[in-house]
Formats: sequence, structure tokens, C-alpha cells
Amino acid sequence: MMSMQTIFVISDEAAVLTELCSGARAAAERVTAILFQGEADAAVAAPCGADRLLFCQPSNGAVMEDYAAALAEEVKKEASALVIVNNSIRGRCLAGKLGVLLDTAVLTSVNSLERSGEDLVCRRMVYGGMAQRSEVFVKPYGVITVGAGVFEAAAGGAQAAVSPFEGAPQGGLKCISRAEKKEGGVDLVAAKRIVDVGRGLAKEEDLELCRRLAGALGAEVGCSRPVAENNKWLPKSNYMGITGVQVKPELLLALGVSGQIQHIGGINKSRVIVAVNKDKSAPIFKNADFGVVGDLYKVVPALIEKLS
Amino acid sequence: MKIIVCCKVVPNEEELQVLPSRELDFGGVPWKISQYDLNALESGKQLAAGGGSMTALSIGSSEALGASKIQKDILSRGPDALKLVLDDGKPFQDSLQTAKAIAGAVRAAGEYDLVLCGMGSSDLYFQEVGVQVGALLGLPAVNNVTGIKSAGEGVLEVERTLENEVEVLEVPLPAVLSVSSEINVPSVPAMRDIMKAGKKPVEKLDCPDCGGASLRTLEQLAPEQQERRQELVEGDGDEAVDALVRFLKKEGF
Repeated sequence: MMSMQTIFVISDEAAVLTELCSGARAAAERVTAILFQGEADAAVAAPCGADRLLFCQPSNGAVMEDYAAALAEEVKKEASALVIVNNSIRGRCLAGKLGVLLDTAVLTSVNSLERSGEDLVCRRMVYGGMAQRSEVFVKPYGVITVGAGVFEAAAGGAQAAVSPFEGAPQGGLKCISRAEKKEGGVDLVAAKRIVDVGRGLAKEEDLELCRRLAGALGAEVGCSRPVAENNKWLPKSNYMGITGVQVKPELLLALGVSGQIQHIGGINKSRVIVAVNKDKSAPIFKNADFGVVGDLYKVVPALIEKLS
Repeated sequence: MKIIVCCKVVPNEEELQVLPSRELDFGGVPWKISQYDLNALESGKQLAAGGGSMTALSIGSSEALGASKIQKDILSRGPDALKLVLDDGKPFQDSLQTAKAIAGAVRAAGEYDLVLCGMGSSDLYFQEVGVQVGALLGLPAVNNVTGIKSAGEGVLEVERTLENEVEVLEVPLPAVLSVSSEINVPSVPAMRDIMKAGKKPVEKLDCPDCGGASLRTLEQLAPEQQERRQELVEGDGDEAVDALVRFLKKEGF
């Protein structure tokens, strides 16, 4: 098996380009970045640490995943390579198509990439956070997706040589409409403080109480899976867990969260975890720095008062 | 409309135990329909109710799929028939091998208009198999679908919710769609559905060629427990809240 010494970083978000390239740079000799943005954004993103930066502004309604064939052709100029795509919904769609064109599998939400001799070792969580699996590609090509916050963005990255990506889109679907989401999406990945709402909350109206606490702490509000998926009290983008958002705030205050393993997998990079839950045996307390075994409906109003 | 719904049977991850070696213990863990495939089954059921047929397709080991209990569980959720690919020799441990097996089985199934998948399986959660099936079959494939409706003969109007926007796409059939968990709330099978499930046909297909593995697993271990201080106060009166406030202050919040 030949050693993968080239990594392609493909993204439609300029914001994550530097960190993805930093992670790629630490694992391989050659890094090519391909950014689906215009020339001006590419110029700003040039100090991303890649050797070269190709840019492509999708036109005529095309989107990033329509460039799968052109990108595969670019990747195949190398005899062996790893492709890193940003872990967005569109990114995962592109990654799957690229995988087929390169005859390889895709690993999504990879949380660590490390060189070990000839191998690039990819790690990701499986079984809802019960285990971390380490894998290496045994084919000439590999495709992975990596989310924001996995790699540190190295400062003072080398200036990449910027040029246009010449590939054309292919097989795109007709888009009838495109609209911004109505719900205000919160960026929990970037949040420094998070109030984490669990099933211990009795009704939707009580979210107001959690929001008031978040206001007093300068925090964002996130939740566990059932609160978003079953109750639909908060948008899906607010739920933290292995199949949701993985966060790393300074403070996470869990209210009525039981602490299922799949939820812990989303919050365990928090610096400090505080939990309030009336069930003393809730697993959240094993994962907390400070726990209050009590009724959140009594603790939270008192806490808001003492904080403000 | 002829619909094929892919559904995976997985070990119930909530019942997995961690051994002292940090390896997972699969012994005696019951099998279940992968959580997000319930959304795909529900979508298929709703679409087929508007005129059409629905077949479920499941691929895996005979240990996972061989029992009539799990077969009936799948069949009680809307499909008219179940097609199974049982293969104990292939682990179906990567997204491409799994997609090749599904694409081969779909081809063998003959005519179809729509292949539905869940957003990702509860066990390995690649979120890629649907897209890869579409690419292998040379069909349009859309992930994170949050709405499907007919837009005339052979065309669907598909709503796809991205991180910050919602797009509506015109998708010509046949096509492969991976539905988001947001698309519906799976219904619980009624007693009548459970009774009927036992009478529905189950067909076993040969395992299609799914090529060599793309990946080699080096290890799979439970993550090490993060060290937490686990300071605990009991009660919800002033004393407990004061202790919490002191803790937050001490930590600089």
C-alpha cells in the first residue's frame, strides 16, 4: 500500500479552510485546497497553509456537490490521496459521490487524523458514542469529512498559490426555491457558555426559564436529542450529541439532562460541566464537575436571582 | 410509484456493555431496526398510501436478519414485501461495500421509482450510504430530505434542509433520497399491522458483488472516561444554590 502523501481539502466555507488545511498539513507533505467561493474570498483565504488554493464560484445555480466528477478528475492526477471535505450536509453529499468516483468508502465526522508511518489513521465515534474506531484506508484513495473545531488552525500558515479551478458542474438538480431558515440557528460550536436542556424540562413554555438563565450567564441554549427530535421544542441544530453538534464551551450547565452516552459524546469536551438533576443516579453526575441533586424548577430561579 | 426502503438491523447500542479492556461486549445484545430508518419506512408508507407499492430491503448477517420477529417488525411498518440479502461472510463495515450491496439488490429487484434511506445508521452512522447508492446507480441522490411530494408524472418536489437554508429541488425519478429525522414522526404499528406482517412475503436475494473493503479497522475502544471532579450537593434550597454560585465564581464564571 502506497503512502498517502497528498491531501485535498475541499470546502464551501472559507471559515474552516485554515483549520482543515492545518490538520492536513500535519499529516501529509502536499496539501491542495479547493474552495467553492469567488476569487476575492480565495485571496483572503490564501494564507491557509495549503501549497495551492483552487477556487470555484459555482454559477448558473450549480452547487458544490455538482462538481464531484471534476473534483475526482483533479484528485486522480495523484496516484494516491486523501480527500477531506468540510462536514456540512452539502459536504457529505459531495463526499459520497466522490467516494464512488474514486472507488472508496467515506468516513464522516472524523475527530482525529494522524500519520502513523505509511498510514493515515482516521478516528471517529461509532455505536452512538460507545466506542471510538480507528481506521486506515487500504485503497489508493480515501474520503473523510471533518467538522469545525476538530483541528487547531495553525497561525502564520504559508501563502498558497491561488488559481481558478477549471472543472465544470455536472448532473445538477433544478432548484425551485432556496430560502434562509426561519429559525435563528445558534453556533453552539463557537459558544463559550451553554445551557443544556434535557428531558427533565416538563413543558415547552419552561424553555423561557432556561433562556433567562442563559441570559444571566451570557450563554446559548442547547439541548439533548429528545428535546429537539421528539418534542421539537428547539431546532435540530441546537441538539448536542454524537449525531448532533459536538461542542467545547468553557461552561456547560446541564438542566434535567440524564446523560445518555450519545449526549455525553457531544458535550464531553466542555472545560467545566455543571449538572442539575433531581435523580441522584443520573449518569450526568459522573460526567460533571459540579452537580446539584435537586429540582431544577427550584434551583434555576434562585440561581438567576443570585447571578443578576 | 414503486418504492424501495432500505432499512438496517443493528445491535441496540443502548444495551452494549464496555469490557474492562474497553472493548465492546456484543454478547446477548438485542437487534433493532436502526432508529433513523424508521423515518424512511414512515416516508415510504405515506408516499405509497398516495398510490404505489413499497418494498423494504435489508442487508446483513443471518444473525441480525434471520429471525422472523425482526422481519415482522419491519413488515408491520408499511412495506408490502421484504427482500433480504443475508451474508455472514461480509461484514458490510464500510459505506461503499454496503452501498454496492444495496445497489446490486436494487438492480435485481427490477423496476422501481424511488429508493429511500434513513439519514444514517444507529451503529456506524456514516450518513453516506444513500448518496453512494445513488452515485453507483447513476441516479440523482439527495441527503437530509425534510419533505417529499409528487410534482407530476415521474417528478418529485423534494425539500432539503441545510444548515442555514432550505432548498426545494425538482428530482426526476428514479432517484435515491436520504430522509432526515425531521421529516416525520414514525408511527407505532397497530395490532392490525402486526397481525398482517406475518402474512407478507419475505424473499431472499443472493449477495451482489460488493468489491473489496476500503478500510482496515485498527481498533475499536470505548472512549476513556474524561476526568471530572464530580463534586455533589444535595437539595434545592438556598444552601445548594449558594454552593453552586460559589463553584461558578471559583471557576471564573
